[in-house]
Amino acid sequence: MLRNSRSEILVALVLIAPFCAVYGLVFVYPTIKMLLLSVTDAPLIGPGEFVGLDNYTRLPGERRFNTALWNTTYFVILSVVPGTIVALLIALGVNRLSGRLQALVLALFFLPYILPVSVVYRLWDWTLNFQFGVAMHVLDWFSIPRIPVFKTTTWFMPAVAFVTIWWTAGFSILLFLAGLRAIPVEIYEAAALDNAGRWNTFRKITWPLLWPVTALVLTIQLILQLKIFDQVYLFSFGGRPNDTMVLVQYVYTRAFVSNQGGRAAAIAVTLFFIVIIVSVLQFQLLRLAGNSGKGDDK
Amino acid sequence: MTAANAGRWNLIGLSITLLTVFLAVLWAFPLYWGIVSSLKPENEVVRPYIELWPDTFTFEHYIFALTETEIGRWYINSIATAAGITILTVSTSMLCGYALSQLQFPGRKALYLLILASFMVPTQTLIINHFVLIANMGMLNSWAGIILPQLIHPVVIIVYKQFFDSVPKDFREAAVMDNASEFRILFKIYMPMNWGVTTALSIVVFIWSWNAFLWPFLAVTRTNMMTITVGITQVNDTFGISYASQLSAAVLAGLPVALAYLLFQRRVTQAITLSAGIKG
Amino acid sequence: MRNILKIGAGALAALGLTVSVAQSAETVLWWDFLGGGDGVRMKQLISDFNAAHDGEITIDATTLEWGVPFYTKVQTSAAVGEAPDVMTYHASRIPLAVSQGILQEITTDDWSAMGMGQGDFAEATWDAVTIDSKQYAVPLDTHPIVLYYNKDVLSAAGLLNDDGTPKGMDSREGFTATLQALKDSGSIKFPLGSVTGDGNFMFRTIYSLMGQQDGELMTDGEFLTGDNGDKLENALGVLAEWTNAGLQSTYTDYPATVALFTSGEAAMMINGVWEVPTMTDQHAAGNLFEWGAVELPVIFDHPSTYADSHSFAIPANAGKEMTAEKRAAVLEVMSWVDKNSLFWATAGHIPAYAPVTNSAEYKAMEPNATYSPLTANMIFDPKSVFAGVAGPMFDVMSTYFVPTLNGEMDPADAVADIKDELNDM
Repeated sequence: MLRNSRSEILVALVLIAPFCAVYGLVFVYPTIKMLLLSVTDAPLIGPGEFVGLDNYTRLPGERRFNTALWNTTYFVILSVVPGTIVALLIALGVNRLSGRLQALVLALFFLPYILPVSVVYRLWDWTLNFQFGVAMHVLDWFSIPRIPVFKTTTWFMPAVAFVTIWWTAGFSILLFLAGLRAIPVEIYEAAALDNAGRWNTFRKITWPLLWPVTALVLTIQLILQLKIFDQVYLFSFGGRPNDTMVLVQYVYTRAFVSNQGGRAAAIAVTLFFIVIIVSVLQFQLLRLAGNSGKGDDK
Repeated sequence: MTAANAGRWNLIGLSITLLTVFLAVLWAFPLYWGIVSSLKPENEVVRPYIELWPDTFTFEHYIFALTETEIGRWYINSIATAAGITILTVSTSMLCGYALSQLQFPGRKALYLLILASFMVPTQTLIINHFVLIANMGMLNSWAGIILPQLIHPVVIIVYKQFFDSVPKDFREAAVMDNASEFRILFKIYMPMNWGVTTALSIVVFIWSWNAFLWPFLAVTRTNMMTITVGITQVNDTFGISYASQLSAAVLAGLPVALAYLLFQRRVTQAITLSAGIKG
Repeated sequence: MRNILKIGAGALAALGLTVSVAQSAETVLWWDFLGGGDGVRMKQLISDFNAAHDGEITIDATTLEWGVPFYTKVQTSAAVGEAPDVMTYHASRIPLAVSQGILQEITTDDWSAMGMGQGDFAEATWDAVTIDSKQYAVPLDTHPIVLYYNKDVLSAAGLLNDDGTPKGMDSREGFTATLQALKDSGSIKFPLGSVTGDGNFMFRTIYSLMGQQDGELMTDGEFLTGDNGDKLENALGVLAEWTNAGLQSTYTDYPATVALFTSGEAAMMINGVWEVPTMTDQHAAGNLFEWGAVELPVIFDHPSTYADSHSFAIPANAGKEMTAEKRAAVLEVMSWVDKNSLFWATAGHIPAYAPVTNSAEYKAMEPNATYSPLTANMIFDPKSVFAGVAGPMFDVMSTYFVPTLNGEMDPADAVADIKDELNDM
């Protein structure tokens, strides 16, 4: 290349400068500060004394931490795989439709995704209201006892996971639809000639060819749901906050309600590493699953 | 394939179609129910049976929400901060994505790896230090304070980089031959070519920012600086019955985005798939 | 680093990204947590104040969500110098606030500037805002809980005394019998509407029932010592018994409780006096039956009712000194509202400022007059940093109250767990 490489470097630096400035300020710097804060007994604002790893070592003995850890795990279990399956099924259904009907049906499934979480909260808090919720009237029709969904620990997480799936499925549905459309029609035509049944066509063609999209959806969902806060915080209002706590909420509670910046940072750092480890593990797992899936095909 | 067999298949196919349509209607029912409830007087909302259509139609809750709360301010705050986040994120990411894709400079690999790594890092864990940072800068209760910590969207850079990568090298080489400056190449050749990507990414970032809850919730303590997503949960009538008025505020908060989506359905759909790195 | 950040902030401000507030003569930033009928009446008082102080003082008021959200915002904003100039505060929350250093003392000079003093308040109320013989707030009212009842339903079931009060108010057996009779009458869904879905709220009822046995939550810094645990268990027990017998609404959240009562589905309701305006307004609009409000029934040894006090406090804004003019304006706001709190009494509350409650107008007010004798039996929260609305104690208790009151958990187990967790704090 003829161009002077020094001027190219200069141009590059100018181009990346704004981004690096922002990233340094709101990402790298806070991350480092968080690590430093987590080994002090500082309040939210202001300095603190160095306390070593005390903030970490006390975590396993804290009831609320254990509850939060379990609830977060439970929520991930309840939302990631089931959410992906629901989205896939809906996408398969929508994919069969065409024209205006498809656009309409897709719009109905997708609409919740663009709503703010507080709107989603109001809608479902109302729909599932124990005394006046329309869902409870439906239970009455079938003589099923009403369920105080957001007031019992048994139902809280499943209900929030359900609402979350309702809210975010639209995103995954779109990804699956894009994946389904990318599968060449000729393959299905060939399968039809072979007289392959619906199930076999799905198992031998659709599922393996869709696997990259499925893996992508699973990854996005997992990273997203580990960071759950908004819905749980809103739905736990006036309920049993200590029983329905999740990790980000615990960080929030320690830092902003109890004014314990150092202890909150230790929880944040723990979550930080949990997310990274789980993401890496899942990435490896999905790669393995993808490979073995292809192996089956042969 | 026999005729009877084909008929059976069609029947199954038809029932799947019907099921899909039925589920779609059921799926959207809470939206309908929320809107209908918000149009009833409070004492009809709590009737012990289902009324799919209001007995008495009333806009009183909407009038209340529009006149007695600062919802107008919240709209402005939401629009301003979401637009700010979108413009800043997309522009800085585009410049950086271009550099990563087309230019050689020291630290390029490291920067790219850092961006990839930040995919996994949960920004929610940084709330404490974001709060301290923004407080020290004196920017709580300001648009800038709401915007700054929300500028971390690594996916935007990655999508840009992929698209710049996919532009044939000939364009660039021809321009370089003409002695066009790097900035000229970016703004006159690459940007117009990726206009669709820019629109799509802007739409997605805007939706994300409009819906953000946790950070705007922490960064604002004055009601007149709240975004609409936060405002409708933080300011309300705690006492008495207020289901319908709360729902009307929620409908007002959700309506603009819902309408925007229905108007630009195709674009939003493309934008979403694109943001996940799928070229739809 | 801080300086660099400041420069950055300055640059952004110069770009017009931050918003500044316009200044009038003296603007007092005001925060409250008052919604519903309370909120409407306080807004009226504020606009009256602004009209009376035209050109001198303007109140710029903000209403935030009651409870944890409000106190979280206060705490964090005081720490970063973003707190208001004056705010409403629950007296029960003052010990915690003082220990965190977020409140400014109301000095002797302040009191004399306001033209008020200890003699203008009931002893218990004054005591509630006093820590180590210093005052940290100006009491506005006391707000106990009361028993609301549907006169039409009770009278049809023959459960009203001649003076229009419900029967069976003097004993556990008597009151349970009244509830049972209401259930048997079949005219309503629930004899008693209780906020059983919200443990924070039920604390008020439960603490009242503990008070009826002279039970105490805290003695010498320890929770539920001696037979106090048994007394809590008794209190939970009677409420759980009503639930199990189908006499009380289950998993009911706050607005639902009010809705059950006003729609006639629940014949009685235990709730704060602040719901009085809801009833008055609906009754005036012709949407409500005949109703009344009385002191809580005596379930145990003697009458006792939980109460808290709304007061005004001045936050200690970190790194910001209040000007003398501003402070004078804030003092004027607090004393003016207190002295004009007769109107506040229409929100159901009992004004704290004695000259108001001693006035003939106040004494003629209904239904306040019916329940005002209970002021003699009021008990406040223990003075502890753990106590208070949305305080740590509230959180622990509410976690166990909800399952216990809805028949999921045995009262004895709940008390044991509460004890462990409280003493663990």
